[in-house]
Amino acid sequence: MAVSAEAITAVIAAESGLDEARLTPDATLKDLDIGSLDMASVAFELEDRFGFELDPENIDPEFTIAEFVAYVQSLKRAA
Amino acid sequence: MSCRVVITGMGCISGLGRNLADSWSRLAQGEGAIQSEDGAEPAAAVAPEWLDAALAGRDLRALGKLDPLSAFALASAIEAVEQAGLFGHPVLSERTAILLGCGSGGNTTIDTAYERLYARRAARVHPQTIPSSMISAPASHVGMLLGAHGPTFVLSSACASSAHALGEAMHMIRAGRVEVAIAGGAEACLNPGSRVAWSSLGVLAPDTCRPFSAGRKGLVLGEGAAVLVLESADHAEARGATVLGELAGYGASADAGHITAPDRAGIEAAIRAAHGDAGLAFDEPALISSHGTGTALNDAAEAAALRSVYGDGLDAHTVIATKSAHGHLIGGAGAIEFVIGMKALAAGIAPPVLNYSAPDPACELPLALEPTPVTHRTLVSNSFAFGGLNAVLVGRLAA
Repeated sequence: MAVSAEAITAVIAAESGLDEARLTPDATLKDLDIGSLDMASVAFELEDRFGFELDPENIDPEFTIAEFVAYVQSLKRAA
Repeated sequence: MSCRVVITGMGCISGLGRNLADSWSRLAQGEGAIQSEDGAEPAAAVAPEWLDAALAGRDLRALGKLDPLSAFALASAIEAVEQAGLFGHPVLSERTAILLGCGSGGNTTIDTAYERLYARRAARVHPQTIPSSMISAPASHVGMLLGAHGPTFVLSSACASSAHALGEAMHMIRAGRVEVAIAGGAEACLNPGSRVAWSSLGVLAPDTCRPFSAGRKGLVLGEGAAVLVLESADHAEARGATVLGELAGYGASADAGHITAPDRAGIEAAIRAAHGDAGLAFDEPALISSHGTGTALNDAAEAAALRSVYGDGLDAHTVIATKSAHGHLIGGAGAIEFVIGMKALAAGIAPPVLNYSAPDPACELPLALEPTPVTHRTLVSNSFAFGGLNAVLVGRLAA
């Protein structure tokens, strides 16, 4: 089953402490100040819930939310 | 004494309420927060919505994932610092210490990780398990919230942790190391792992907490925090702060005897040292906030120590035991009991010892068994921990 963009952004919001309204598709992780500890936490929760491996090292801080969502969905399809 | 240490802010959260005002209004009416759940020993838990309300509107994002231990400490610190009018004050940056007492670290976080590891055989735990659960996290988190760059740490002495923290913070101000100390303590131990460990020790009451009463069967766990803003009297006066009272004395001792059993001599030594430090005569009628856990041995040892220290003059004092209302906050106990004691002095009402059923000849004390009008201006607040670590604080109403 595909993972929805909403489910992914909900995890980002919960793990980073950011208001979900700020997670617009064109905002970059860097602009949102989502650092390495935040991303490790996001990756952990996504792996845990959706059952695939996500190496935080592969996440470019310049990724937009839309790009991050697409990347996660591609991992899920491959899993 | 090099300088007086005054209190300019107080905050607390426990099963009684989300702040001191709510907690006090329940205490003054003789209400308690201890509740029973199916199959488990009773406890006094913080309502989650109180925590949400206390932290609402604060930017806590940089703090990471918060164990309830840190969340309780933050809630109380916010209340105390707001009351003191110190948010954004330049003294926070360089001349303020953060000194909190905790009996243990973030137990819920550790429980969650262990449940994954041992029950679900998961290979990994949440990446923030260490920073969220370390015992020092609450001090770091409060310091981050306030932008405080002075000495910041947690000290641990089991059930006396926050009393030791307040006493040592007082000495930091007296010694001139800082002008302000944000001091108190917290505990979050109502997670399954902690509860079963306390239960296995055989000290939890199956019914309720009945300090100094015949038929008492043990302690009842609580959770929460209390934090005070302590300040040199000169600094408080210079900025025109409202002074709520004074932290006037601190006595500490160690039994160096048994890892769980109390020792009357050690308890007495701490009480006498606190009186000596504060210059408080034993015959000045005081509100005595007992450690009063509700265990058979502790209450008898404390009662014997009080009788020995104060002699026949004891009956001019008034003894309270508020663990009967908020449960045992372990590392946070000394601080919440000191805060409640100061509030009781200011209100002129001793909150009643709850659940008292009948006198115990081993615990003959001048207990407040109903909300009792008092005119005392001095508080003696006792904390006696497992491992024989004793700390007693003396508070005084502002002149």
